[in-house]
Amino acid sequence: MRIASRGIPLLVACLALAYPWLVPNYYLVYAGALTVMYAAMSTSWNLLGGFTGYVSLGHSAFFGLGAYGTGLLIVRLGVPWVAALLVSAVAVTVFAVFVGVAAVRVRGASFVIVSIALVSMMNLVVQGWRSLTGGSTGLQVPSPFPDLHRGQTHIVFFYLFLALLGLALLSWWYVSRSRFGAGLRAIREDEDKAESLGVPTGAYKVTAFALSALFVSLAGGLYAVWFGSLDPIFVFSILIGSYMVLMSLLGGVRHLFGPLLGALIVAPAGEYFLIALGETQIHLTATGLLLVLVVLFMPDGILARFTRRRAGPSIPDETAEQRLQEVTR
Amino acid sequence: MVSLLLQGLALGVLTGGLYALLASGLSLYFGVMRVVMVAHPAFLFLAAYLTYTVHTTLGVDPFLALPVTVPLFFALGVAVQRLLIARLAPDNLAMMSVLLTFGIALTIEGLLGTIYTGSYKSVSMGYATKSLTIGGVHLPYDKIIAFLVAALTLAVLFAVLVKSRFGQALRATIQHREAARLVGIRTERVAGYGFGVGLATAAVGGTVLALITPFFPASHWVWIGKLMAIIVVGGLGSVTGAALAAVLLGVVEGLVLVTVDATWATTMFYVFLFLTLLARPQGFFGGRLAHRF
Repeated sequence: MRIASRGIPLLVACLALAYPWLVPNYYLVYAGALTVMYAAMSTSWNLLGGFTGYVSLGHSAFFGLGAYGTGLLIVRLGVPWVAALLVSAVAVTVFAVFVGVAAVRVRGASFVIVSIALVSMMNLVVQGWRSLTGGSTGLQVPSPFPDLHRGQTHIVFFYLFLALLGLALLSWWYVSRSRFGAGLRAIREDEDKAESLGVPTGAYKVTAFALSALFVSLAGGLYAVWFGSLDPIFVFSILIGSYMVLMSLLGGVRHLFGPLLGALIVAPAGEYFLIALGETQIHLTATGLLLVLVVLFMPDGILARFTRRRAGPSIPDETAEQRLQEVTR
Repeated sequence: MVSLLLQGLALGVLTGGLYALLASGLSLYFGVMRVVMVAHPAFLFLAAYLTYTVHTTLGVDPFLALPVTVPLFFALGVAVQRLLIARLAPDNLAMMSVLLTFGIALTIEGLLGTIYTGSYKSVSMGYATKSLTIGGVHLPYDKIIAFLVAALTLAVLFAVLVKSRFGQALRATIQHREAARLVGIRTERVAGYGFGVGLATAAVGGTVLALITPFFPASHWVWIGKLMAIIVVGGLGSVTGAALAAVLLGVVEGLVLVTVDATWATTMFYVFLFLTLLARPQGFFGGRLAHRF
């Protein structure tokens, strides 16, 4: 068991590194890079969702802000792309701290509402601020590697997203072993009790929120320079945010590799639906049905099936105590 | 300037009435099941498209679709509650129900996009283009009709909730589920019917929306934001609070619409949402939960 738990990730890592050279065409490299991008984002999402149980459907707000921040710095100010990526990621993280202070005041369903509102609001602002962002026509970002052709660019970004995924996985692993991680888990199990035991719940929640926003915005920035054109309707879509949730839930929010596993299933499936079913929007239906099925029948994820440790539901949000208070108030 | 503000105020009150109707469904779901139903606006546009189909194939007035869509949506609501929502584990109901209804919303959006394509559709009647002018203020007839239909539906809803035996059982279930069960109310069944009534209001709202605005499958996202803002400002689960917040936000939207622009008008909903959460997370009207209607 121990050899398997060490060996399998190592094997998968080697396969991932060799992937662009194993596949027969550049399209599959592109699909691979996209999958790794989603894996990195859902792992980042899980830094908040998996530890604290706070479900954010609006993390695409940070994806879009990272993308637009990077794109605007390159296009409007001529900043080199790496600097633009890092500066915008820091800016988005600071923004996430401010949003987090307001957002984590509310629990359960209200938090989800706030997260949906955040992405809708960003979408409106970016589309409305035509002079800066180009409005609904979008923003064109020049390629950072003009000498490479499209296929080679896909290979470069495959490895960049892979590095980001590694960073996100490492952070999750590190947090899961730290005192900070234990505090976040305590928040998930019973926030009031955690508070009374001296866990600085507010600061912890905001930190987790900002940390997960940081990685998602880096993914957005990389996406901006990779794709070269930003469409506000796509980068600020609730669909991207819901992909992160779906992937994490499907794989298992309590596990390091859960979101990665979910991404490996959902992202290729999404791409396949897009190609097989063409321009129709039936792929939305496929995603929606998958989400319904996961929530109804597998809320703890695939990985929970393979590990024996099971302790309660993955995302409890109302304890018996809270209910009692509600009734007696 | 004064007439401009009056115009904004009048339009705001008219659309606020419609918002009140649309948000009342959300309050019902939250009341009976503690569920935030993200799919409500998706059902709205399902109703709008059904109205569109009835209107274009049969050429009849959109409101004649109501005898079909209202019972259909009632049955759909009962089915959604019985077959899906009721299956969720109670200890993580709020979060999981959001994800579940979110999945339903995506499913509906995808189906609508596949059947009707992603382009704008609209139902325009002869009376929709005319408007009533009182003292320099133009009131479009379609908005007036929308307001009247919304007011009538809300009045019926209130009458049902206050007068009928079913309404009493529903309110008892909302107030205290366990106690309601103790006095012999079949709360599961009542919760199902509560969902049905909620979705029936979506059928009416969707028909009205089809009449007053062009729509496409993804339009429901905008409405999720607006309606969520309304029920949070109003206080989750309170129908009265939702109605007051709906009119308030409708008026704010109308005033910003005539003085600034449409983007800022829509942004106002989110501004109010965030301000409410910072100042009074339980909402400004109606309190924590609906104790009375």
